[in-house]
Amino acid sequence: MSAIETSPVPIELAMNTASSGPDPVGQASLAEEALRRLNRAVAVYSRDGAVQFSNGAFDALLRQPAFASGLAALFERTLALHSVRSEDTPLSLGERRVYQIETVPLSHGVLVTASDVSAEMAERKRVNDEARTDPLTGLGNRLLLREQLAELMSDLTLHPSAAAVLTIDLDRFKAVNDTLGHPVGDALLRVVADRIRSQLGRGDVVARLGGDEFAILQVDPQQPKAAESLAARLVDLLGRSYIVDGNLLNIGASVGVALLPGDCADGDQILKYADLALYRAKSAGRGTYRFFEMAMDEEMQARHTMEIDLRRALALREFSLVYQPQVNLDTSRITGFEALLRWHRAGGATVAPSDFIPLAEEIGLINPIGEWVIRNACREAAGWSEPLTIAVNVSASQFASATLIGTVVSALAESGLAPERLELEITESVLMDDTQSVIDILHSLRQLGVRVSMDDFGTGYSSLSYLRRFPFDKIKIDQSFIRGHEAEGPGGSAIVQAIAALGRSLGMTTTAEGVETEQQLSRVAAYGCTDVQGFLFSRPLPPEKIADVILNNRAQPSEPPRKTNDTQGGDSL
Amino acid sequence: MTRPLYRLVYYSRNRIAGAPGDVAQTVQGILRASQRNNFEVGVTGALLFNAGIFAQVLEGRQDSISATFERIQRDPRHGDVHVLGFEQTSAPSFPNWSMAYLGRSREAENLFGSIAADSGFRPDSLESERIFRIMREIALEEESAAA
Repeated sequence: MSAIETSPVPIELAMNTASSGPDPVGQASLAEEALRRLNRAVAVYSRDGAVQFSNGAFDALLRQPAFASGLAALFERTLALHSVRSEDTPLSLGERRVYQIETVPLSHGVLVTASDVSAEMAERKRVNDEARTDPLTGLGNRLLLREQLAELMSDLTLHPSAAAVLTIDLDRFKAVNDTLGHPVGDALLRVVADRIRSQLGRGDVVARLGGDEFAILQVDPQQPKAAESLAARLVDLLGRSYIVDGNLLNIGASVGVALLPGDCADGDQILKYADLALYRAKSAGRGTYRFFEMAMDEEMQARHTMEIDLRRALALREFSLVYQPQVNLDTSRITGFEALLRWHRAGGATVAPSDFIPLAEEIGLINPIGEWVIRNACREAAGWSEPLTIAVNVSASQFASATLIGTVVSALAESGLAPERLELEITESVLMDDTQSVIDILHSLRQLGVRVSMDDFGTGYSSLSYLRRFPFDKIKIDQSFIRGHEAEGPGGSAIVQAIAALGRSLGMTTTAEGVETEQQLSRVAAYGCTDVQGFLFSRPLPPEKIADVILNNRAQPSEPPRKTNDTQGGDSL
Repeated sequence: MTRPLYRLVYYSRNRIAGAPGDVAQTVQGILRASQRNNFEVGVTGALLFNAGIFAQVLEGRQDSISATFERIQRDPRHGDVHVLGFEQTSAPSFPNWSMAYLGRSREAENLFGSIAADSGFRPDSLESERIFRIMREIALEEESAAA
């Protein structure tokens, strides 16, 4: 029901209460006067389109040519209809005024009203824009990007043209937020947004997807050249220093690029592809750009499947431990074994730790897996006929979770293994973050009687301060210094000698890893290493073979066991 | 109370490609534009350049320096911008805008020498001399690197 139909009613009521009785003539003239004076534009047209009645507001509108012609066009289209509202196609006059026309059929003609909806239209547009704008930077948001992508996709089927989606992620932005606070971080994001904007062509769409992530939809027939040049410009420009609120800031940007319709023709998928390429740019050292390649998706899918398999591997009992002997050079006898993890993945493949441990760390599975390793290794070693040591690899994430000490205590108690027979092998990476809390944990472990060795020494920073901060029982020299072309040169020898001398002075055992030939053995012995481990003596062995090896070790005290039966190669956990 | 004065010192690699004559013309244009822009926002300083680098000191209010630096950063005609200093200062070291060509190349000297003469580059305090010395060394190193 329109406003014009309701308006006479209150007038009538007012008259009824004010006068003694109905007066049809008076009422009609009063109604006419009310219509004439009404602010809203009102007119009655005959069926053939002639104006039969119009009020002042309507006449004023009709004097505007744009309104008159707009109305005429609307009539041509719609007057034949029973009743029409121009809600969906409001008549615009000039820049700012918008009118909504309504028609109501009368017994002899058509009632036409026009109301000024400029304010509502402006408000609607404002709300619409606001819903598609990132309030911080004034760029578009995810909704805008998705709509524009969808529109482009439907266009692409009609007019094949090239476009690219670029996703941008800032490097080191979090550090700015953390050290200088969110107001500076926010101000920086605004300057970043300006710099991005300054690189765009007409028709390009840019959105902030959240945090320090941005995306650009670039429409340009010269793909992939245009996207490549934009990506290179963005990496350069966003990586230049900023001055924000009196602070000199240095951040970088990584960019991923996916092409439309080359790479795919689906809006969500293309964003995912650009993100995969971005992920590559970041792992390639940041401050660079990468184009999406199908192989990236395949690798990601493979990683995803591996994640699913890895999550259930413990429950499905797919892990096993193999044990590699460690031999003392003076006595030529086995002093202990290093427990190495194997994953027998459904489908038959055996996965090396280097292929799944990083993933396990990333998805938070390293602690349950690490705990399983410690418990099983202790249980196995407790069953040996000789009190040999059992070395277990412990990763940095296990040190970060507060449960390591508890796990060790309970594994020792449960298995009955003497604490001094358990040797935890850690790499330098364990000591790199939050060193003091790690040193504290190491001391607690030491107080339990557990031994601690430094694994893969020589491959990381090889910081000597680590050796000073904690009295390790053993240094294991990485196999890259023992075998291979470089190791056998003068540089390799000097390093092994130096580490061995260092170990001797600090009272630590030095184990040479990866010894494969007699020649390598005599060399590391000459350099002063005290212990060795490697294929020359034995590959890692399944638990059922250990009993014989230990027996043999006891029977032939002067001869180290050589070349025992094989299992897989590979290395530490 | 007056707002504090800041000094920014940076150098960047010259990315203008082309024959020496074209480069000279582009550099002239950059110099004129920067002189005009900097005057408008009350920024003074010094600019040294040769075929290898631009080295610039900017002195002014924080917001003017920020805005000027941001404009400079967006200029594709140079890259590898290294900021050597950004700090508050009690008085400007280069109260008058100065610029100079600084290089050993005779050919470039002929092309750019007049720009320097026009602007009358003159470091006129101890601090400005120190900055000038550093920038001069960088400029000469970078020129030989670019050659």
